[in-house]
Amino acid sequence: MTSYSKEVIADLVSGKLPWPQTRRIMSAYKDDDRFFKYIQVLQDRVGWSDPILLPVSDHLFICDSAEGRVTKCECGHSFGDYRRNWKLAASIIVRDTEEALREIYPNSDIPDPQWMEIREFICPECGTLHEVEAAAPGYPVVHDFEPDLEGFYREWLGRPLE
Amino acid sequence: MLNKPTAPIRERLIESERLMEETGCYDGITSLSLRNEDPLKFETLHTKLRAYCVSAREMARRISASPGVREVGEMVVAIYTPEGDAIALSNGIMVHVHTMSRFIKWMIRNGYEENPGIRDGDIFANNDAFIGTVQVPDVMDVMPIYHGDTLVGWAGAVCHELEAGGITPGGDVALAQERFTEGLFVCAEKVGENDELRRDYVIRCERNLRMPIYWVLDEKAKVASCIDMRESVKALIDEIGLDYWLKVSKEFIEEGRRAQLARTRQLTVPGKYRGHTFYGHVTAGKPGYQPLGDPDWLYNIPIEMEVGLDGKITMDFEGTQPWGYHSMNCTPAGMDGGMFVTLTQHMNFEGLVNDGAWMATELKLPHGTWTNPDNEMVATATSWALLLPAYGVFQRLLSRAFLGRGFVEEAFVGQVNSPMIEMGGMSQYGTPFGMAHFECAAAGSGALAIKDGLDTAYVGWNPESDMGNIEIWEQNMPMLYIGRSIVPNSGGAGKYRGGCAFESTWLINKTDHLRLVTSEHSSRVFDNGGMCGGYPAPTCQKHRAVRNSNVFELAEHGKPIAHAPGRNPHHSDFEVRFEGEFELVEGPYITAPHKSGDIFSHSYNGGGGYGDVLERDPVKTAWDVENGFLTKEAAASVFGIALADDAEGFPVADVEATERLRKRKRAERLEKAVPVSQWMAEQRERVQQADFAPEVRKMYASAMKLSPRFTREFVEFWDLPEGFRYDG
Repeated sequence: MTSYSKEVIADLVSGKLPWPQTRRIMSAYKDDDRFFKYIQVLQDRVGWSDPILLPVSDHLFICDSAEGRVTKCECGHSFGDYRRNWKLAASIIVRDTEEALREIYPNSDIPDPQWMEIREFICPECGTLHEVEAAAPGYPVVHDFEPDLEGFYREWLGRPLE
Repeated sequence: MLNKPTAPIRERLIESERLMEETGCYDGITSLSLRNEDPLKFETLHTKLRAYCVSAREMARRISASPGVREVGEMVVAIYTPEGDAIALSNGIMVHVHTMSRFIKWMIRNGYEENPGIRDGDIFANNDAFIGTVQVPDVMDVMPIYHGDTLVGWAGAVCHELEAGGITPGGDVALAQERFTEGLFVCAEKVGENDELRRDYVIRCERNLRMPIYWVLDEKAKVASCIDMRESVKALIDEIGLDYWLKVSKEFIEEGRRAQLARTRQLTVPGKYRGHTFYGHVTAGKPGYQPLGDPDWLYNIPIEMEVGLDGKITMDFEGTQPWGYHSMNCTPAGMDGGMFVTLTQHMNFEGLVNDGAWMATELKLPHGTWTNPDNEMVATATSWALLLPAYGVFQRLLSRAFLGRGFVEEAFVGQVNSPMIEMGGMSQYGTPFGMAHFECAAAGSGALAIKDGLDTAYVGWNPESDMGNIEIWEQNMPMLYIGRSIVPNSGGAGKYRGGCAFESTWLINKTDHLRLVTSEHSSRVFDNGGMCGGYPAPTCQKHRAVRNSNVFELAEHGKPIAHAPGRNPHHSDFEVRFEGEFELVEGPYITAPHKSGDIFSHSYNGGGGYGDVLERDPVKTAWDVENGFLTKEAAASVFGIALADDAEGFPVADVEATERLRKRKRAERLEKAVPVSQWMAEQRERVQQADFAPEVRKMYASAMKLSPRFTREFVEFWDLPEGFRYDG
């Protein structure tokens, strides 16, 4: 069975693993013990001790905390119950003018702000940009991911959550 | 039990479907007995079948005259069961493996065994998307495989034709608003017997196409590949025996189905994933468009993907737009194709790749939408315009799942639309011609979760992306390249940027009548997205051209010319360098014919970015600026990276200044940002008053008319009164 050390997984996740090695990992049979090593790598990275249950974005994690299972930023900011859309508890910058769009697209043809706006969802504590939506004005904010956390741990990982 | 090999094929198909319904397993195969008995023999046989397909395709590409097939590889071949399920396939445009399956099943269901009859040596062709393809230029040929008197399978091949004889030249007929202007249709027709194409069919092609040599030689290439695969399969059956073949060929498919389910359980996380993208279609005032519907239209493409605990993936397009009088509608066959080609790239990278993978998924395509039109007269000539953005969303949804599970190396922001340029008129040789230019088969890809996207090297519809050779393209069209270059900033910004696109600039040469038409590029909105903080790529580009330019005069005097439109979107380098009449066109480029001395440029798309821009590596950024992938202006303003010049004038990252700049940018973010709840409260009034552009209002009204779920979710999100609707 394919398996990699925690150090290799850490380098892979941080984008530091040399490309030839990354390429070999991409081409090889997948390592079935990846998930928990990955969680350990992420747990080492964050500055808090609430156990990570599932990463949902680059710096966002569902974790077990004193207030229950919550979506948490890497900086420690909690967005509340993991079943709620974390974006609704975030801060937002909306680019809905030509001037604001030009800041991101200085040399390109840009959308008509009457047809499309760019929404930046930001951690209110550390300012990390967690997600960007490009949407028509008035389009409801997307709830990107509602994991079946219980089923995942129980049936796929064989370690039911308490 | 039905005596399968000798029963009529229609009964065999019905029986196979009944068994799947009853057992949940393909053809009722609940145990992979042959695989268990001798796994080595099992795997070896499948490898042989795959080798037959790859070899047949390579041989056939040498017969073709089309640079699309020869250079870019716009072809795929496959071997099917008698009921039309794919057992093994070649590389190439794998979209069509399942569309061909639909074509074979359609003939079986429609009594082709009785009339026109299915016999050894027959050739059947189809390019009708409602029977089983994506668009008119995707012409497929299948031939039955008989062993003695027993139908033991089918060999099939598809080529994408560069010219389809529609209202506008090329294959992706941009101006088609109904089926009747899309070009030459071949609707599940017997076009040959005894291994030979019928002369009357070839004459029909020759008299209805602008450039019949592409289509006709592609037909011969496909027939040759089918015969090649057929003879290989027959020889294999002589070796392993008929009973073994009939059983093992179906076990391959059941194994493919099980492998797909297992792969999903291995690589993803169960749950619901959601995403969306948009597409702007702007045609108001353009010549040739009949007033059949609104000229300008904004499409929303929402997707909900559910990964079940059994590993089944379901994709639901509820809430999207109705079909329209344009060429971008798609049939369920096309939607299947998009799903299949995406799965083969992202999940079926090992093991058996065949129709089994498709059977482990489900598409929910709401009736009456562009994904499943309730009118078979609609045009589908540029289905890809909406398919590619849609399956880019699918790739991001899958990638969220890979990211959750820890397989970060597979997370990929996905594909983008590949704007097509097609043309016709008089060639540089003084003869009528028509063709599609396939250098579009090399867009920038979305970023990965661990690295930048591929520059000018990926399209979703052909995993072996290739832009072809400039010299070959120039042989086939009356235009000469005066520039082909990377478009700086065309990759979406992020910690890892999207792959960059390229743009071409041509001098129209040796013709007094060249019609240029473009399609599959969104106007006024981006039709892609970023992920985890990455931005979408700038994919709503306009076309720039110069008529009656002074390029020949400049060349004669050795003066500099512009080789690209340049980086100022308000004032192009064409205007700086050339004299003439300048054109800036939004939406499909459908204008009066060009002639020798005119200049035309066309840009392709880059991919979306991944991660927060403020985490971008400054050293990589300096390299990007040095090599033309990014402007210095964007490095500072978008990424917060300060660059200085080294002694030789090359950009180098100023790490300390970058740290200061980023700190300031982060603080600015927090200063500018407002709580989402506050923004929602401010927006609610606008939403309630429908204070939107007419096309945006129309989009909401159309989605609400078709989808009670979209309406409910919209009303709930904005806390609107019960019964709230937009009229349109």
